[in-house]
Amino acid sequence: MGRRPATWHEVRSASFLVQELALKGRFLRENGALPLIAPTLVIMAVFTVLPLIEGFRLSLTNASLINKGAAFIGFENYKQLYADPNFWLAFVHSLILTVVAVGLQLILGTILALALKQNVPGIKFFRSIIMASWVIPVAATAVMFTFMVEPGYGYYNIILNAVGIKVNTFWFGSLQLAFPLIIILHLWRNVPFYGIAFLAAMQAIPDSQYEAAEIDGAGPLRSFFTVTVPGIRNMVIVMVTIHVLWTFNNFDMVYLTTGGGPVFATEVLPVYLYQQAWTSYATGYASAIGTIMFILLMIYFIIYIRIYQRQED
Amino acid sequence: MMTKRHRKATRITLTYVILIVAFLFFVLPMLWITYSSFRSQGAILSGSIVSSAKEYTFDNYKLVLSIADFPIYFWNSLRIGLMVTAAAMVLSILGAYGLSRYPLRGKNAYIMGVFSTQMFPIVLLLIPIYNIVFSIGLFNTSVGIMLGQLMLVLPFAVWMLKGYFDNMPKEIEDSARIDGCNLFQTLWRIVLPISAPGIMVAAFYSFVVSWGDFLVVSVISQSLKTATLTLALQRLSSSLQLRWGQVAAATVLTIVPTILMFSFVQTRLVEGLTSGAVKS
Repeated sequence: MGRRPATWHEVRSASFLVQELALKGRFLRENGALPLIAPTLVIMAVFTVLPLIEGFRLSLTNASLINKGAAFIGFENYKQLYADPNFWLAFVHSLILTVVAVGLQLILGTILALALKQNVPGIKFFRSIIMASWVIPVAATAVMFTFMVEPGYGYYNIILNAVGIKVNTFWFGSLQLAFPLIIILHLWRNVPFYGIAFLAAMQAIPDSQYEAAEIDGAGPLRSFFTVTVPGIRNMVIVMVTIHVLWTFNNFDMVYLTTGGGPVFATEVLPVYLYQQAWTSYATGYASAIGTIMFILLMIYFIIYIRIYQRQED
Repeated sequence: MMTKRHRKATRITLTYVILIVAFLFFVLPMLWITYSSFRSQGAILSGSIVSSAKEYTFDNYKLVLSIADFPIYFWNSLRIGLMVTAAAMVLSILGAYGLSRYPLRGKNAYIMGVFSTQMFPIVLLLIPIYNIVFSIGLFNTSVGIMLGQLMLVLPFAVWMLKGYFDNMPKEIEDSARIDGCNLFQTLWRIVLPISAPGIMVAAFYSFVVSWGDFLVVSVISQSLKTATLTLALQRLSSSLQLRWGQVAAATVLTIVPTILMFSFVQTRLVEGLTSGAVKS
């Protein structure tokens, strides 16, 4: 079969093809990372972005885990939330928990880092074991602390009794002690992480800066504020930012110790949402709580970006 | 001269005071529960710190391992943890390597985008995720749980590995490319061996997050087929409220794998977790 000359039509479509391939080649050359990151992006989109949007949609319905049909009810759930005293209690607790826990973590983490930085005998051992509390499951932490605050035979109560303070109550069951104990749990888990992270940042500060400060006549306190603090500033920002998100969104520390009790004394938003969704089956109502949580975090994020940008200028 | 020596003594004393308090607060609770797991119920409830020799026992471990379906929970945790780690490593090595070595228009926006998902309340996301997992037939399966846990792990894993790859010299890869290696050969033969320490940290992080997860499992798991140790611990500590010896033994068995792995990566863990922040 002899080769017939290509028709104009064929020439045009072939040139289109070549052009398209060239475009695609150029697109890939300029965006070579895309095919490699795409699987991650798809998973993140399907399991975070879509659910977030779907969660907002559900919050406008009376969806329930047991009834299949859900009706659009506008902002009815939000009106109910506004009138729900337990929601406001959880709201206030979440804010206090986040601010107090992260604030204390920052202070104690800095103190711990300063101690870990000293080259005293045994320090290597300390640096290596101190972060163990961060890697164990929160469920184990919850059991450990429940055990430790048992009246009579708990570790905390044994120590306190030994120094003459008689606290023979179960702390998690006490209206006064349960909430502070939740904060202590957050400290227990996260302060070593702060300590080690700040230590890493402090070790990156060149000695010459401290020597210069000393020549200028700065004492330990002044060189801390003029050399150390600026040196670890970026690390502080990173740690505080992620811990505000993690603490505010944290669910299992409260759920696995007190479940929000006694009498709502430790109720926080993630736990209240979980109970609404999976115990009361009020999916729509729970989604409204979640949407409010997201809006609060967005506000935090926007304020944070603003402040950050202003400082950069 | 005197004041300088004086100051040094104060500093060392202060350091040890802080370290001892830190030890009592952070480390001793773990030793205490380990110690208690070898004591009889009576010895624990006595409130004394030391008891007579015959009250130390392995019974708690024997009981937990024989009656409480504990080995099944353990295997479920291990299987899901390994699946999450493997999937997270494949995805994040490819993604992080791509972001580190190849161009992408609006790259920072992608990175910010992936990271900003950390801001989303996971408890909220789980309601639709439950529906998604249910509708694709993965409810109460390991794969369903793995998919749910991947979104907890991926942003950090990608970020850690990208930081690691950014600090790695490109020259060897370029010469491998010239020798005719394609992307996957370069990754497999050159990049993975060199970056093994960084990958170990990211893998450890993925495993620990999966191993410690309670929230996702509690929603997607429905039976013993997929229930993990964290669920078991919760059930054990609420049902056997006063059997503290057994609860302690179960807790120790849950902690030990993570602590063991931690001891292998501990110094590198900090570098990995904080490399991005120290560098900037």
